[in-house]
Amino acid sequence: MSVRINPDQCIACTTCVVHCPVAEATPNFLGPRMIGPAYERFRLLGLAEDPSLHYCANCKNCDISCPHDVPVSSINMLARAEQCKKQRPGLRDWVLAHGELQARWLRLIPAGLKNFGMLNPVTRAVLDALGIDKRAPLPRFASQTFRQQARGFRQSGQNRKVVFFPGCYVDVYDPRTGLDMLWTLNRAGYEVIVPDEFVCCGLPMVANGFWQDARANAERNLATLARWREQGIPIITGCPSCALMFKTELPEFFPDLAEKHGLTPLEDAQEFLLDCVERGELRLESENRASLPELRVIYHAPCHLRAQGNGLPGLELMRRLPGVASRNADAGCCGISGSYGFKKEKYAIAQDIGATLFRTVRESGAHVAVSECGTCRVQILHGSELPCLHPVSIVRQRLEALNPA
Amino acid sequence: MSRIIDVLVVGSGLAGLVAALTAAREGRSVRMVTDGMGSLAISGGCVDLLGYAGGQRLNDPWSGMDLLPPAHPYRLLGASRVRAAVDMLLQCAADQGWPLHTAATPEGAPCNALLPTIMGTLKPSYLLPDGLDPAALARARRILVAGVHGLRDCRPALIVSQLRRYRDWADKDFVPFMLPSPLGATHRSLSALDLARLVDRPRGRDWLIQNLRKHAGQCDAVLLPPICGSRADASIWHELNQAVACPLVEMLSIPPGVGGLRLRDALLRELRRHDFELVENARIIRATTDGKRCTSLTALAAGQERRHTARAFVLATGGILGGGIELAPGSARESVFKLDIPVPSDVTLWSEPEIFGNHVFSRLGVRVDGEMRPQDDSGQAWYDNIFFAGRSVGGYDFATEKSGHGVALATGWQAGRMAAATAGKFHEPASGEQL
Repeated sequence: MSVRINPDQCIACTTCVVHCPVAEATPNFLGPRMIGPAYERFRLLGLAEDPSLHYCANCKNCDISCPHDVPVSSINMLARAEQCKKQRPGLRDWVLAHGELQARWLRLIPAGLKNFGMLNPVTRAVLDALGIDKRAPLPRFASQTFRQQARGFRQSGQNRKVVFFPGCYVDVYDPRTGLDMLWTLNRAGYEVIVPDEFVCCGLPMVANGFWQDARANAERNLATLARWREQGIPIITGCPSCALMFKTELPEFFPDLAEKHGLTPLEDAQEFLLDCVERGELRLESENRASLPELRVIYHAPCHLRAQGNGLPGLELMRRLPGVASRNADAGCCGISGSYGFKKEKYAIAQDIGATLFRTVRESGAHVAVSECGTCRVQILHGSELPCLHPVSIVRQRLEALNPA
Repeated sequence: MSRIIDVLVVGSGLAGLVAALTAAREGRSVRMVTDGMGSLAISGGCVDLLGYAGGQRLNDPWSGMDLLPPAHPYRLLGASRVRAAVDMLLQCAADQGWPLHTAATPEGAPCNALLPTIMGTLKPSYLLPDGLDPAALARARRILVAGVHGLRDCRPALIVSQLRRYRDWADKDFVPFMLPSPLGATHRSLSALDLARLVDRPRGRDWLIQNLRKHAGQCDAVLLPPICGSRADASIWHELNQAVACPLVEMLSIPPGVGGLRLRDALLRELRRHDFELVENARIIRATTDGKRCTSLTALAAGQERRHTARAFVLATGGILGGGIELAPGSARESVFKLDIPVPSDVTLWSEPEIFGNHVFSRLGVRVDGEMRPQDDSGQAWYDNIFFAGRSVGGYDFATEKSGHGVALATGWQAGRMAAATAGKFHEPASGEQL
């Protein structure tokens, strides 16, 4: 790895230690300050890696809390990349890092069969032996991917255009959220372009140490993004982790690629919709609001959204919806961190981290939980048993109910 | 960031939190933008008001305020405003189930307390949570000094030998004692915060109670590291105290100090009852002004610039370490408005040879008026709707005065209140509110 981050901005103040959810859950993790900047000095001297590096979930709470702008989690991910060069990560980590690729390989198999194949007790026992915890809430394959379904979605009468990066979770497991995004953007007067060339943003690959694969995906995505950027069309995503990857991780990890293709930051789709409301393109109010029962919503802010320094536009969107009473759970990380909480040796840690959030959600009296991140939604449903939707799904539900076609 | 809010607070340390709370309690909408979490979370949870002034250790912090230089924030504010700020914090903390109190003289007047640290030193402080009762220590003849195996930064034998150097402590009996680690062998060495989080749970409380009970019976008080829970929940300490049947007194610790995390928890809980939003991981880099009025601040976040528009602004951006003050050889300036801070051009004059001396660098900060508005050389406010608070304000030296949280509290309160009033004028131009 040619990229190195100077650890000497760190003054060892311990702020990140206080805010690290993994360090709180297990004393077997050295903690962000020690495994990040402090240990980096040992790495620069060529000393052996600490055995607890794998505990870092890359949730970014260290980066969010650091008063000195030390990119602690990036130091950790670069160290993991070095480690994986010396010792190839196992099959389990490959499986968790390449969900989109597997979905493409399996695309000719009907979803029912795929889900039976993946989720039956025998397979779960095999996966458990492989290191994917049998209790973990593996998502179900959708019958058709979002991009397949989007092709059949009739978009008419729009004169503005926007490019949508769905992210693997929406594309493979949760097309409904993607279609709700399409519907809402259409309602705001936008024709939505969903390019076939997009591949996984690469964050799961980085987190699991598959650096070369992440680089290959970055190359392909950045080239595609550059083409749309040159046409002056805004590019948005509803997934906070994908947005974070394009905004901060790619330029940090692959500065040469960022230079070659230019930077195309993905805009937050929820913020884009708020701007549509501001511009009068999307109307959230209606005359017959009294006829709808109040919807109580509890909102969870994904850590990767908080890391982007842009506040909580998804929550703001909920607050602008008539008849929706929304509350910020403000109960910390859900624990899942992408593929982290599916791992057998991390499952209990992830559940422990999310326990405060699960309790807050359960006790909220809300009808539904809301969060932008796909795996946060899976984890919240798993931990609290309250259904969890993307904010745009609530927007569509309410707008459809308020203004029946 | 399209919504225009009343008060934008930059920084989430104690000064920023108090400013936000003060403005929010006045009914203003408040947005806090923060680059990092502020050092309250790693500090001890007491409020040092004023421990030393004019070369004297103060028993009564209020009596020492007149000894401070005229440009000191306490002098600019006046003691009555400092008192009002203290009262607000006392009320908010009590409302959140985290009551604070002060020590008292034999005559019953509030005074500074001398609190033991895990280094066995004594430190003056003023507002204390329930877990820090100096009276229990003063009464005690025989004190159990507890450490925990695996907690490297708290050594009972060291603490005892250090405390014996103090006259009031020299003739007490001390019983140094190591509790077994509740977590067994761990990959990292434990911190007080690890243990405090364990004690949040019934299993951790059982561990502490069982082990202390064995020895506390023969003692009048127990000194222990700050491990009685990590949240602003005084019931944990009361439960432990009752179960052990001996007063427990926490020592102040190096970061993470746990106590500050509890106070922060209480303040954030109180803030969430109001119209308050938090934007994390965003660094304010620039201001847009129109004459003497600031219209917006621009943040850099995830490689993109974002504009935050508000009616009034509180800058609680911290000092040199926190990023509120930028230094270059021979010059210093405030980091957002780039206000010049006068310094000797010869940098060797910025510090004293004595490490605990009167360093110029430790008093560096923005010059403000009594309303916390930044001032130019002639004493005129640079802007009408900008207020500074906390360590970005110049004229005090928290380390030698032991006044850190106190100045943060007092200036945060004043800045929040002035910002609320300024934002209010915007709403109702005819209002003749007396400030």
